[in-house]
Amino acid sequence: MTLSRRSFVKTAIGGAALAATGPAILRPAFAADVTKIRSLYALSGTFAEAGKTAELGARIAAPQFAKEYGIKVDYKAVDSEGNPGRAVAKILTEIQQNQVKYFVGGVLSSSALAMSEQVHKANGVFITAAGADEITGQNCNRSTFRWSVPTYGASRETVLPLIEKYPNAKRWYTITPKYVFGEALLQNSIDVFKEKGVEHVGNSYHSLSETEFSSYLTNASAAKPDVLLLLNFGSQSTNTLRQAANFGMKQKMKILMVWAEGLEQYEEIGADIMDGVYVGCQYDVSIKSPGNKKIIETFKAKGAPVPSYSSVSGYVSTDLILRGIKAAGSSDPAAVIKALEGLKYEGPTGQEEIRAFDHQCVKNYYLLKGKPKAQMKNKYDLVEIISSGKSFVPQNQSLCKMA
Amino acid sequence: MSLYLIQLINGLGIGMIYFMISVGLSIIFGTMNFVNFAHGAFYLLGAYLCYAVVAATGSFWLALAVAPPAMALTGWFAERYLLSRLYHAPHQYQILVTLGLALVIQEGVMLVWGAIGQNVATPVLLQGVVVFGSFVYPKYRLFVIGFTALLTFVLWLALERTRYGAILRAGTESTEMVALLGIDIFRMFSFTFALGAYLAGLAGGLTAPISGADPFMGPGALSVAFVVVVIGGIGSFSGALAGGLLIGVVQSEMSSLWSEGANIMIYVAMALVILVRPRGLLGRA
Repeated sequence: MTLSRRSFVKTAIGGAALAATGPAILRPAFAADVTKIRSLYALSGTFAEAGKTAELGARIAAPQFAKEYGIKVDYKAVDSEGNPGRAVAKILTEIQQNQVKYFVGGVLSSSALAMSEQVHKANGVFITAAGADEITGQNCNRSTFRWSVPTYGASRETVLPLIEKYPNAKRWYTITPKYVFGEALLQNSIDVFKEKGVEHVGNSYHSLSETEFSSYLTNASAAKPDVLLLLNFGSQSTNTLRQAANFGMKQKMKILMVWAEGLEQYEEIGADIMDGVYVGCQYDVSIKSPGNKKIIETFKAKGAPVPSYSSVSGYVSTDLILRGIKAAGSSDPAAVIKALEGLKYEGPTGQEEIRAFDHQCVKNYYLLKGKPKAQMKNKYDLVEIISSGKSFVPQNQSLCKMA
Repeated sequence: MSLYLIQLINGLGIGMIYFMISVGLSIIFGTMNFVNFAHGAFYLLGAYLCYAVVAATGSFWLALAVAPPAMALTGWFAERYLLSRLYHAPHQYQILVTLGLALVIQEGVMLVWGAIGQNVATPVLLQGVVVFGSFVYPKYRLFVIGFTALLTFVLWLALERTRYGAILRAGTESTEMVALLGIDIFRMFSFTFALGAYLAGLAGGLTAPISGADPFMGPGALSVAFVVVVIGGIGSFSGALAGGLLIGVVQSEMSSLWSEGANIMIYVAMALVILVRPRGLLGRA
């Protein structure tokens, strides 16, 4: 029997809770040469939606690659609660009490930055998919690697192609969360506007706890933009888009959500609202690459037929740790870090490579467009890829001074 | 039309939605002196029940007819077998138990429907917008405002002009005195709690097409509801309406003046009201 993706996620939530509180089911009886890996995603709180799905990917990857690479793994999920303070406390517990050296996780940039610092102090290895430029920029460190494209690339690979697609759309309005990640997306987008001679007709900031966006949308409507650029994320971008559609803005302007979470979010928004909306994303199931084909088959075999960005980010992050251990031939973090620097591999988005100087993975970022309901082949077929590309801060402009 | 005038109108709309979310809490808090931290969870469950009925039948109107009574039943059950034991306990116990109940409901929702939020489509009849000059407003939000206004009037009539309302208000002043008159005040409390849960469920169902159904929507709604009740004055039904409208307008206007502070200004407004009128705008002495 094939479980639906939602059922699978639900089952996995139970599994995560069991693993977090009960005996580690993946822990072998002889733990002397076991590599301990901990995922720290938000399994509760406002950002649990993405966190639980990412943890699902890590949970699938750990036993699979442990077997494939011949490594004994003790994998356990830890709830970061989407709170940097709680995440640091929990990571310290794992480091000090359980001598864990390998971590994946961080949905929120603030949590990821805090975790990165702690893992670095403990000389461990941390793989994240959080977005803020600082992670592989001014706050980079030797222990931290990032799989996802940061805000710089996300802005360039979505805003630029849309400007080129609609050269007459000269007036852009932004809605931004007042937060390190939102600020970075905004600044990068403004840089693109300046470069292409596009007018930034206004911006509305909102807090991270906001759920009602009608007043910000009213500001946006009053500015009469050609494009509404959403720089928020998670449930906030879902609600902003939903409410923008209710206010009839889809008919009046193009809407681009720069940082979408992928399939779960498209489903949550619904096909009617997604139709015609542009989104930027790190991954889509329709990517044609050998790496993605393998992931789709693996998820299918596990009863989770359609992988999403969140689940793939957890999956790839865990794979990278084990791939590094295999390449190093050792579970010593210093050797693993060395092996990961410059590593080229077949990833879900095609050929991916980790830059040695800032530990940033070089991979594609995608501009997608919501499909009309009539063109959907199945309920997961909500978007189509419009363009993709790799944009990263070049080494001579990077703020990373590797510590 | 000036942007600030548009924001004023939009703010009144938001305020009516906030009032809708808060009115159940206001009634329970004001008339029973009971601190119900599960109110946000009732709102959440109402939204999910609405989603479930829409998903099963495709009818939003049926969902709106089914979900609130189901929540009333849930509220009645919770009050009858759990919360009624806490009437004479200090407020801390009421907070602890209702907070626990809220967590049980939230986790239950995730077990049944998953951690990913759900979309509730706007009913076809109310899709689209109405245009007044340069002001554009969704038809569905207009419906919610009209519906809430009607509901406000009906509730006011029930509480202020009926025998039930008189007994309830008397019971709030002196439970013993009302009981001595031969009235089963605790039965009335059960009914009131069920009414509060009904209103929370109705608010959840009505706002689902605007904000969707999300497992973590409860705490946000609860915090808005408390702000509204505190601003309006504990025990004041019309105060809750004034409180809801005030914070709706403050939030909307501030989004044009200082957008990053719009949300925090809700709490600043609350602090200012408490400073000037410690019992709230229309609170009883």
